[in-house]
Amino acid sequence: MTLAQDPHLPTSAVAGDETTISTSGNGQAILYLVGPGVASKREISLGEDIHLPSRELQNAGRYVVSVCSDACRSGSFYVAAAEPASLTFLVHPSRVPVGLSDAISGVALPFDPFHNLVRVPMAITFQLTSGKTAMMSRSVQTQDGVAWFRTSSGKDAGVLHVVAAVDELSARRAVQQVASEPCNLRIKGQRTPKAILVETEPVRDCSGNPVPDGTIVTFTAAEADGKSTVDAPIKQGVARAQIIVTKAAVISAASGVVMGNELRLGAQP
Amino acid sequence: MIGYIKSHVVRWVVPLAAVMTVLLLGSYDLRGADPTVQVRFDASKAGPRVVESLTEERILRDYRFAWTSLTQAMEYNTLDPLEGPFVGTAKQWLAQTVVSQRQTGLRSQYTQQNHTLEAVFYAPEGDVIELHDTAEYHLQVLDGDKEIHNEQVIVRYVVLMTPAADRWVIRQMQAVPQF
Repeated sequence: MTLAQDPHLPTSAVAGDETTISTSGNGQAILYLVGPGVASKREISLGEDIHLPSRELQNAGRYVVSVCSDACRSGSFYVAAAEPASLTFLVHPSRVPVGLSDAISGVALPFDPFHNLVRVPMAITFQLTSGKTAMMSRSVQTQDGVAWFRTSSGKDAGVLHVVAAVDELSARRAVQQVASEPCNLRIKGQRTPKAILVETEPVRDCSGNPVPDGTIVTFTAAEADGKSTVDAPIKQGVARAQIIVTKAAVISAASGVVMGNELRLGAQP
Repeated sequence: MIGYIKSHVVRWVVPLAAVMTVLLLGSYDLRGADPTVQVRFDASKAGPRVVESLTEERILRDYRFAWTSLTQAMEYNTLDPLEGPFVGTAKQWLAQTVVSQRQTGLRSQYTQQNHTLEAVFYAPEGDVIELHDTAEYHLQVLDGDKEIHNEQVIVRYVVLMTPAADRWVIRQMQAVPQF
């Protein structure tokens, strides 16, 4: 048994493709293959081509081949990722107020059928659509297997569809755009026999989107001898509170950093 | 007599206990920090998000621990060290290698490791980081006790790490001929 020289290894191999190793010499030997996810050995006849099946070469990376008879001779070769078969697409956040700059970002990474990261540069198209309105369409070249974008949220509340696409592949995510801070908070009130019933007009943000139910509006009644406050959640677009006031009072409302108008009420007759 | 014993206890036992305590604490502190795994980490070129200094420290610590674990798994053909530092595809590939090595009687030794790690991409929301590792190590592959491969080699790895509950974990680790 003689092993004349190092095994002749492929200069390039692609994940999931079979490849061939050639050896020189004559007699029997053992061929070892050690790589990502594989460590195999088999008897071979020196001087013949050895076929490495595709199942042994599915993972991209470095493979060491050793051919041992009396002595061992070895070498290595790399397997590259195949064509992309899926896109990992990370989009943040899942819920965002409208009109916020640089509020939405996405990262896309192409992977081949064997979960290898595809590092060959390719153009990934990011598309953002709100209703029937296209908000953004941008083509970004992957660098080291990654493409990303960052953009502002739109003006209308609702579902924002975010799509990353390369060739026939696409990945879709949804971002819920919600109203921003309330704008032009206005209140009105009426006396009842025991208290004052105050309520807001429908609360909207500066783009006209209804502020979500559950948002807290704080009503404050300032009398000569003190203040009282009531926190009320918005229900069906309107916040309501009942405040017990017997003397002259100024009633105001606030939500977040936004102040509403004031109501000046005289003393109860 | 009692005084003599007391003086010996103070002279020998107390310092010995102190030395043992330091050694024990030291060994705990070095858990996962195999001194043969050297890692240098440069996060200054990462973008679009800047890598915070605390994050940089954690990634360095966890990457080094991951290689220590990988080294143990490959040498002793055990899956336990892979629990924790690896997830997803990286863990699957390494586990497959360990199982294949067990079946064929092979084992791989990674020694004298020097890793030059560079962050090349850090996602805007900090949920994934891509690293380039230029790793130099000595690789020995054994069939039983017979050496079948022995080389001092530089291998370049493209690595994806993601944050988990209490550490950064390796999700993808792919050797490439060049960056």
